[in-house]
Amino acid sequence: MSSVLEVDELSVSFAGEDGRMTTVVDKVSFKIGTGRTLGIVGESGCGKSVTSLAIMGLLDPASASVSGTVTFEGIDLRRESESRLRDLRGDRMAMIFQEPMTSLNPSHTVGAQIVEAIQRHRALSRKDAEARALEALRQVSIPSPETRFHDYPHRLSGGMRQRVMIAMALSCDPKLVIADEPTTALDVTIQAQILDLLRRLRDDTGAAIMLITHDLGVVAEVCEDVLVMYAGEVVERASVGTLFRAPQHPYTVGLMGAIPRMAERKPRLATIEGSVPNMRALPAGCRFSPRCPFADAQCRTMPPPIREVEAGHTTRCWKAPLESLVA
Amino acid sequence: MTTPILAVESLSKHFVVRRSLFGKPLAQVAAVNDVSFEIAPGETLAFVGESGCGKSTLGRLVLRLIEPSAGTVRFDGADIGALDAASLRLARRHMQMIFQDPYAALNPRMTVREILSEPLMLHGIVERENQPARVAELMRLVGLKPEQAARYPHEFSGGQRQRIVIARALAVEPKLIVCDEAVSALDVSIRAQILNLLSDLQERLGVAYLFISHDLAVVKHIAQRVAVMYLGSIVEVGEAETLFASPRHPYTQALLSAIPIADPGGAANSFKLEGDVPSALSLPPGCAFHTRCPHVAPVCVEQRPVLSAAAEGHSVACHRWHEIAAPDGAGRAETELSPTLERLIAAFGPRAA
Repeated sequence: MSSVLEVDELSVSFAGEDGRMTTVVDKVSFKIGTGRTLGIVGESGCGKSVTSLAIMGLLDPASASVSGTVTFEGIDLRRESESRLRDLRGDRMAMIFQEPMTSLNPSHTVGAQIVEAIQRHRALSRKDAEARALEALRQVSIPSPETRFHDYPHRLSGGMRQRVMIAMALSCDPKLVIADEPTTALDVTIQAQILDLLRRLRDDTGAAIMLITHDLGVVAEVCEDVLVMYAGEVVERASVGTLFRAPQHPYTVGLMGAIPRMAERKPRLATIEGSVPNMRALPAGCRFSPRCPFADAQCRTMPPPIREVEAGHTTRCWKAPLESLVA
Repeated sequence: MTTPILAVESLSKHFVVRRSLFGKPLAQVAAVNDVSFEIAPGETLAFVGESGCGKSTLGRLVLRLIEPSAGTVRFDGADIGALDAASLRLARRHMQMIFQDPYAALNPRMTVREILSEPLMLHGIVERENQPARVAELMRLVGLKPEQAARYPHEFSGGQRQRIVIARALAVEPKLIVCDEAVSALDVSIRAQILNLLSDLQERLGVAYLFISHDLAVVKHIAQRVAVMYLGSIVEVGEAETLFASPRHPYTQALLSAIPIADPGGAANSFKLEGDVPSALSLPPGCAFHTRCPHVAPVCVEQRPVLSAAAEGHSVACHRWHEIAAPDGAGRAETELSPTLERLIAAFGPRAA
């Protein structure tokens, strides 16, 4: 399988007020193949959004120090010039953010904004670019696209704005779409429509999608593979089916127990005690050990390596396979 | 049935969105439209619905933080709309509110001790010399360490801040707490802690919750009864178990089918809603849901359906509910977890409340 995106040992550190560096993304590696959807899940501050910004080269070099390699369709992005990256962004790699209103310019019509994006990357006449923009609006199932084309963003609902963002992202046939919490700000019936749309577009265009979310439900709905992040590290990676059936990292297990289930009502939810560690004072050993019910002396002193428990399923846990803990 | 702690009757709230030069209202939004319900002592009634359905306005009306356009709110037998400012303040002692953003709800210049002592002083609940002991007790009750009383809100994490807000609400020994998206801003693992805490407190103190949320799975977990709102009106209300197992209103069915469930092998969502919620500025005639309803009939466009009993304790506002088949079984649900995974999850059992 050829990968569209290959990330190898990507690390990001930020300088604090006192000049000390804090590593917020620590040696993250993964690949995404053509037409695949990889979900990246984790709670606030786990480094999932910073990872995506680092891949796109959108972090300010003055404050963030990035290391590792990012290969997109054979191009080593970290060695490319800023102007070359600008050519790639919005063209062969596109990004969709959580809040469409802040990503759209309020003083231009949505049509003009999509046309601008197309003309930035394609040598098309205004007329052809407009036709392409209309086509993109149609692709994302916006009703009466000819009318919407001339609307300003504030005239559209949240779901419609997110569709416009997706239309813009798709207007240049990207090979990679990074979607950072694309449905978090939307109502549940609108979220279902947008997730449906993402699934359909992946199947139609063969683009690879990297979907960043805090919602395991969203992952189960649209992703094939999933990466779980905790405190800046990848702690588990598996296919979606495997991860939900037999998770191999205690953090993933805890997360699954903490979601209220529709199927049955438990009087109490499982809770992961405490809160995420301060990235400036990480615990020795495994970063999850202070909150892990299975942790022992080894976990508290030695950081676990990432290990493969079965083909395609890796975990950063000394105790894996976890079945042995409750046998 | 015991006397309800809260009885709301035909409550409506219209906001004027545009006025003429002389102040004559030109356009109105019916945020809450003829809503009636009751909450028993120690019970949780949840209101679910999407943005703009009026659920937050409803919470504010119940506490009389805003004045209703019509209808009455009776709290513990007293009509709170008829109270003067002084008696309203007394009544508010027994009704508290918890908001979504705990940081915005806490004064950053006050320590936790000051935050928790203020309501005690204001309502003269405990003698001055007993206040420190009561503050410590409140902190323990919500799972905070009394040693942290001298700290400021910014020194706590989001989940801990929400615990402070809950402790403050409990300080006055309320009979009803309105929780407006109280866990929506929290991460999954922290959300579970706060939900467990709310359940524990209800069990121990017998407080009733009016729980406002957009998250159906959370609502199913926490509430005994659930009311589904659409464009200012209750479209369906019933016991949580029944309502989730056999939703009768097409909107409830659509909502349930739209929830992403954490199970890749689970049943696919079969029923999708097209389009957006119509503007509350110009409500559709008849049933407000008819513009998106797959079962729409001529009567739905002409007549506004009223809530009527579909079964004991289960009401639905739909002209055609008895013709629409309830989805079979439990609707959308996850497949069962493997026994191994259940045992692993059990290791995360609550150690401290």
